[in-house]
Amino acid sequence: MFHVPKKALYKTISRRKFLELGGGVATVLGAGSLAVGLNSVIVRRPVYASSSDDAKWRQYEGSKLVFMSENTPPSFAIRDNIKSFYDLTGIEVDILTDGLPTVQQKVGIDLRSGRADYQLNYVQDKPIGSPFADFYADLNEFSKDDTLPLDAQGYGDEVWFENFLDACGVYYDRGPIRAFPYDCAVSCTFYRQDLFEKLTKDFEADYGYRLEFTDDTTYKNMVDFAAFFKKMHERDSSIPYGYAQHHGSFGWTTQLDIQRHMYAQNQWLDFAVDDTLGSKNPGPTNWGDAQSIKAMEGYQALADVSHPDNLTNGTLELNTVYAAGGVAMQIQYHEFAASVEDAEQSVAAGGKTAYAMGPKGEVSWNSGGGDNVVNATNCGIGGIGINAGASMDLQRAAFIFASWACSHDTQLMVLKGVGGTPTRKSVLEVPDVVKARQRPTTMPNALTFEAVYDKGIRSPNMVLGPKIPKANEYHEIVRVGTQQCISGELSAQEACESIRDELNAIHDV
Amino acid sequence: MAADIAHTPDEARRDIARGARTIDYTPNAFNHQPARYYLLWLMLPAIIVLAGISLYPFFWLIYMSLHEVQLAPGKSDIWVGVDNFLRLFSDKKFASGWLTLFKYSALCLSIEVGLGVLVAVILNNSRLEKVLVTIFLMPMMMAPMVAGFLYMFLYNGTFGWYFWLLRSVGVLEGGTILGDRGWAMFAVVATDVWQWTPLIALITLAGLKRVPQDQLEAHMVDGAGEIRNFISVTLPNLYPFLLIAILLRFMDNFRFIDTILIMTGGGPANATKILPTYLFDVSFKFFELGRGAAIAFTLLLLTILLGLVLTKVFEDPARKLKTGGGG
Amino acid sequence: MASREIVRYRSPTRGAVQAVTVIFLIVFLIWTVLPLLIMLVSSFKELLDAFQLPAVGDWGDVGVMFDFKPTGRHYVELFTEKHFATYLRNSLIASFGSAAVSVSLGAMAAYAISRAQFRGKRDLLFWIISTRMAPVVAVMVPLYVIFRSSGLVGTLPGLILAYTTFNLPFAIWILKGFFDNVPYAIEEAAQCDGCNRWQAFRLILPLVAPGIGAFIVLCVLFGWNDFLFASIIGSGGAKTLPVATAELVQPVKIQWGSIMAAGVVTTVPMMFLGLLIRRYLVAGLTMGAVRE
Repeated sequence: MFHVPKKALYKTISRRKFLELGGGVATVLGAGSLAVGLNSVIVRRPVYASSSDDAKWRQYEGSKLVFMSENTPPSFAIRDNIKSFYDLTGIEVDILTDGLPTVQQKVGIDLRSGRADYQLNYVQDKPIGSPFADFYADLNEFSKDDTLPLDAQGYGDEVWFENFLDACGVYYDRGPIRAFPYDCAVSCTFYRQDLFEKLTKDFEADYGYRLEFTDDTTYKNMVDFAAFFKKMHERDSSIPYGYAQHHGSFGWTTQLDIQRHMYAQNQWLDFAVDDTLGSKNPGPTNWGDAQSIKAMEGYQALADVSHPDNLTNGTLELNTVYAAGGVAMQIQYHEFAASVEDAEQSVAAGGKTAYAMGPKGEVSWNSGGGDNVVNATNCGIGGIGINAGASMDLQRAAFIFASWACSHDTQLMVLKGVGGTPTRKSVLEVPDVVKARQRPTTMPNALTFEAVYDKGIRSPNMVLGPKIPKANEYHEIVRVGTQQCISGELSAQEACESIRDELNAIHDV
Repeated sequence: MAADIAHTPDEARRDIARGARTIDYTPNAFNHQPARYYLLWLMLPAIIVLAGISLYPFFWLIYMSLHEVQLAPGKSDIWVGVDNFLRLFSDKKFASGWLTLFKYSALCLSIEVGLGVLVAVILNNSRLEKVLVTIFLMPMMMAPMVAGFLYMFLYNGTFGWYFWLLRSVGVLEGGTILGDRGWAMFAVVATDVWQWTPLIALITLAGLKRVPQDQLEAHMVDGAGEIRNFISVTLPNLYPFLLIAILLRFMDNFRFIDTILIMTGGGPANATKILPTYLFDVSFKFFELGRGAAIAFTLLLLTILLGLVLTKVFEDPARKLKTGGGG
Repeated sequence: MASREIVRYRSPTRGAVQAVTVIFLIVFLIWTVLPLLIMLVSSFKELLDAFQLPAVGDWGDVGVMFDFKPTGRHYVELFTEKHFATYLRNSLIASFGSAAVSVSLGAMAAYAISRAQFRGKRDLLFWIISTRMAPVVAVMVPLYVIFRSSGLVGTLPGLILAYTTFNLPFAIWILKGFFDNVPYAIEEAAQCDGCNRWQAFRLILPLVAPGIGAFIVLCVLFGWNDFLFASIIGSGGAKTLPVATAELVQPVKIQWGSIMAAGVVTTVPMMFLGLLIRRYLVAGLTMGAVRE
């Protein structure tokens, strides 16, 4: 059966009993109760714009929803605290969590079947949002409806961090909002400050400059750092390797890794498309042009001096390697700070790790001159969307949950709990959170906030990546091409051209 | 599925002429209900369940493979004829998927058969046969996905014992097991070999017990050496057993992709992307259901082909295997 | 080697061959058992202990594998915090349920097919066996649609039916072989004694009972070890052990200790069952083609 929150008051009542109670209450109140879809139930009480807030919150008391989510910290935190939502609204929400590839499958099958087993979906912007955008309800219809308990801050573009609402909520068309930003994973550099300090003398002797990571550290410096650590590791195995890329079996994270690298040089993009909007017909790709080849050569050079596990480590595995002391630097999503700072499972905890923006592009890797280089940063914005195939009442009830889950208070609760990744600007202004940015801290993720929210996501560093219906196949093509390059099967030029041909083929160019 | 049960001598003769096997069956006078209906009723529930779960998906597959399946809600699928199939010809990953599948299966099967026969020959009639066979069959009981996780753990480049072992022996110079295109293939093959060599060994053992002693002894009298004896007497007798083992394992190689999905997802750089994993990507990651159905259809054709071979093997030598020889 | 009765000559070559044979057996034994041992040991390790590995080439330090303070934490957590008791129950219900359905429907059908002669019997058998052989990925989407429209997704009955897709053809095929070996004369005699057909069928059931028992166990094994069906058809409401194990891979950490413990929990019962039906294992896994 579904996960039942430990403290849930209904835990002791059987589901049938629970439904009967809900139905009974509803009938007494003159409202209908209807079981719909997989384990979802809707019970409605009429409300009016003039009703009290409490009545608006409780209008679907006794209903039951299903939320299909990725197994990210907010979902765990919310699941642990679902009782507060139940107390507030009387709506029971089953939160199912799975790895992203599985969520993608299940959500995809559910959306296509048109039956809406999962009224609430975790709309991870590219893998789920891009292909399935049309299946999600336009949240504008609810966010102006004053018979619903609306968030005091509202849902406008300005309450979220810049670009977040566009990234996960807007697809191909400026009008509808398909999802609200629920959590975010923003890339930044995690590095072992203790080792950097210890080894800087040796490094300086070889390379003539200090071993330190700054906002001006470039990808070429990364090659130096990684080569140095690799050499030291071969001499003394207690010193870790320097760096590792994300090249596991999940296409998207691999694509994100190479995307940062490409964008850092001349702000190179895959398609001539506005990434905040995306396009159903992106047209010919830029892969295979001179800049892409030059950047790919740099990526290959970095791969050559990286951890030998380079081609197996997905994001998660890479972090495990870092936590086990296997690499001295990783570019990682900031939500991972919580696990890196956990002394029980990480040797890099307790002040050994420092956080910075991703490396800058290297001027000499720009093709055709020019000194346009940026500290490329990208992200996955996990939105929460509502299945448009569900009945209007289910959608409204789902909206109450979506609004609550993305609210200031909930985000703060998650951040204080298992380590969330806020999407609302106001959360960062809370005094406790400001204080937590310095060690010792009770919210390890806050250690990354300067690198992430103050610098990384700001223009021109942020790159959102192509939002196209065939996003998943695009990720896979880029992943395979890149892996063929860094494993030596293809040269940088051949790899870029192979990616170009395959991308153009799926878009009929 | 109209049962046409032979209930008159004429019909029975007709069926025998068509090659039906005869079972000692005579229409009996003690039952008033005609036998054919009675037997049909017994069959029916299973047939209905099977039809529901196999025929419907099959027709659905054909429908999908001839359409461009729309992802947007409310749009109806577009008829594209055999376009989905034609596109496969220019799809490099489709061709390489087949190739990788055959490479993977060939590696798995040759190693498993080689090792399995060796183990069986050594164990046959030895004092330790019972104990060792019992130990050897443990991996077969493990869920393939658990085996996938276990081997992923063993191959890990940071804390994997097999990684350490290969490094220490010196065969793995740089890189890691699952991160290297060549090694990754061997790594997934090794997992399959670990789980299923024992099955081949067990089948071979069953076969060895049925090698006719008189033939062996006759050869011995001829003064044939043990190795020649093995080649000229034992091996021909084992052949049908090995054939069955190979066919069954080959089929499972593309029926079960749990281990590959978990360990490599087909990577690195498509080195372990056997066709079923590519099909999995196309259908469940890209949601190109039309294209996926076309790929699935080609895979089903192979299945049907293998099925035909298998039923032939089952029906002819199998009968001999059970009853014939010294068993 | 093929038979003990054959006279053997002592020679240096034979000695060498024997030595090689023994070494090969030992290596093969280690190769088979080592992964299981590591799984078991690692399931008692804390995360950082599990990361301990000797330096490359440092053979003397292999003992580090056992140098840790054992903890039963992972097992306790699985059953207290991670609801593995529920998943264990789901696994049991789904696999035994499907075995029961498959073998009972299968026995009737197998008996009928065995006793009847009709045109197209070979085709029918071929169709049945090919149902079992179809790659799961190829038919998953349409199956999901059927299951969804009958409200079976995420339920144990749904999962039981899903496992029946591979267990039922297996049961029919195997049991038909059993009934083929039971002489028709027995039923005839019974009918002479006044039994009706159904009673006659019930009468010969005990004759094939040991076989049926073994194949129930095999059906349980197939269902228990399934992952693809369980993850898609059983999603959510009917989560089984393999699916729950896969979910231990979480975005911020792979809980290797818990995964290994879950692996042990999933594997050990099946190993015992496997030993139980040891005699029928080969027949079962070769679809009845090879009997020991």
